[in-house]
Amino acid sequence: MSFLDMKQVSYTYPGWPAVVHRVDWCIEQGQFHCLVGRSGCGKTTLLKLAAGLLQPSEGVITLQGDPVIKPGPQLGFVFQAPTLLEWHTVLDNVLLPMSLSHKPTPQEVAKAEQLLALMGLSACKHHYPRHLSGGQQSRVAIARALIGEPAILLLDEPFAALDAITREELQDDLLTLCRLRNTTVFFVTHDIAEAVYLADRVAVMDRGSIRRDISVELPKPRGREVRYGPAFNAICAQLRGAMDGAAP
Amino acid sequence: MSMRMSRFWAWALFVAGLMGWELLTRALQLSALVLPPPSVVLTALWEGLRSGYLWPHIGQTVLELVMGLTAGCALGLVSGVVLGESACLRRLLLPYVVISQVVPKLALAPLFIVWFGFGMTSTVVITALICFFPLMENTLTGVAQADPQRLELFRMLGANRWQTLLRLKIPSGLPGIMAGFRVAVVLALVGSVVGEFIGGSQGLGALIIASQGMMDTPLMFAVLVIITVLGLVLYQLAIVLEKLLLKSRITTL
Repeated sequence: MSFLDMKQVSYTYPGWPAVVHRVDWCIEQGQFHCLVGRSGCGKTTLLKLAAGLLQPSEGVITLQGDPVIKPGPQLGFVFQAPTLLEWHTVLDNVLLPMSLSHKPTPQEVAKAEQLLALMGLSACKHHYPRHLSGGQQSRVAIARALIGEPAILLLDEPFAALDAITREELQDDLLTLCRLRNTTVFFVTHDIAEAVYLADRVAVMDRGSIRRDISVELPKPRGREVRYGPAFNAICAQLRGAMDGAAP
Repeated sequence: MSMRMSRFWAWALFVAGLMGWELLTRALQLSALVLPPPSVVLTALWEGLRSGYLWPHIGQTVLELVMGLTAGCALGLVSGVVLGESACLRRLLLPYVVISQVVPKLALAPLFIVWFGFGMTSTVVITALICFFPLMENTLTGVAQADPQRLELFRMLGANRWQTLLRLKIPSGLPGIMAGFRVAVVLALVGSVVGEFIGGSQGLGALIIASQGMMDTPLMFAVLVIITVLGLVLYQLAIVLEKLLLKSRITTL
């Protein structure tokens, strides 16, 4: 039994062709999977299905053997935009998952501070989100998703709006954090290089179905030298070809 | 023009206007019954304040205003939240709420006097009715138009409806709600003064009518000055409150 297991999952808005069509995908514990595809191919919908924000019209999704019926603390989700609450400080934003139900305990506050320190944001913990750069806001959003120590982290193009260099830094930070906790990750992106750099396995999605499934056999941990090596480029080219083949 | 310079010139313009008014009324030898010069108005104002004649009226108007504003805003806030949360109730009740607001409230004043009698109650009811709408409208908009991605975030975090309302919808709608409050504060003054025109024996509005009857135009002007100052003070208080509540969101520190 896989950690996250999708079997014949479809999703249809009434009166429209299926957005997600008979997708089979499984992610093993501790693995980092990326899903690439063009805009509108259904990848965000698939991610929301995995999160339990949407319910599949057909098929089942199980997490650690239990069907995913609704979102919960076992899942961490990072949206396209940082979606921070601008009336809370950085620290309070990270603690939001706790403070919704109770006043955060000193241990939880300490954990949030530790996460912020790992993200290099210790100095800004009492600032409000509007004082932060886009990259820093994305870091806070990741810290917020990780504070509950979720079994699986789902990310929906979290770095799409950032500049290339900030994006590379955030990718490295994300890899470090996930390796630290052995977190399972499902990461949606439209950036091929980002997918290859991050993932153990990459799925290519087109018009609701997964067309290709490519394993990335690059050494880990990956550094900057990997990004520009021939092996890396070969996989990128292979993925690009798969996306072309998938296009109409 | 720098900030300080423009402020200086604004005051200079004010003083020049007063002086022009003073000179004009003297030069044309206008009767104080038609247009009293500022010096006479100021004397009337000072006399009224010093002798204690004006204070009970000011107190009455402020009391009505505060009661009406509080009741109207509280009701507006609650109805805005309820209608914003329930699409069903919104469809059912919103047309009636709009109709009740399209009817000019001041035209209803004689009816309120029939229902509640002369005096404070009628004025408070009119004031509350006037304040109700801007608060309800802005709260409704703020609550119903919360950002969909943030709503999804709250669903993801397993927040219930109550938590989503208190922790997301109301705080994110707060700038709009406060803008509605600013409008309500100004309207409340209009409501209480006009309410006193019709149904009051005490208060600044009643005093204007009385001074008209006594043909005491300087007193009328003195009361108008007080109403203006009162309005400015209330508006500034509303702005201070808004700044306090929205401190974290104002872009310039």
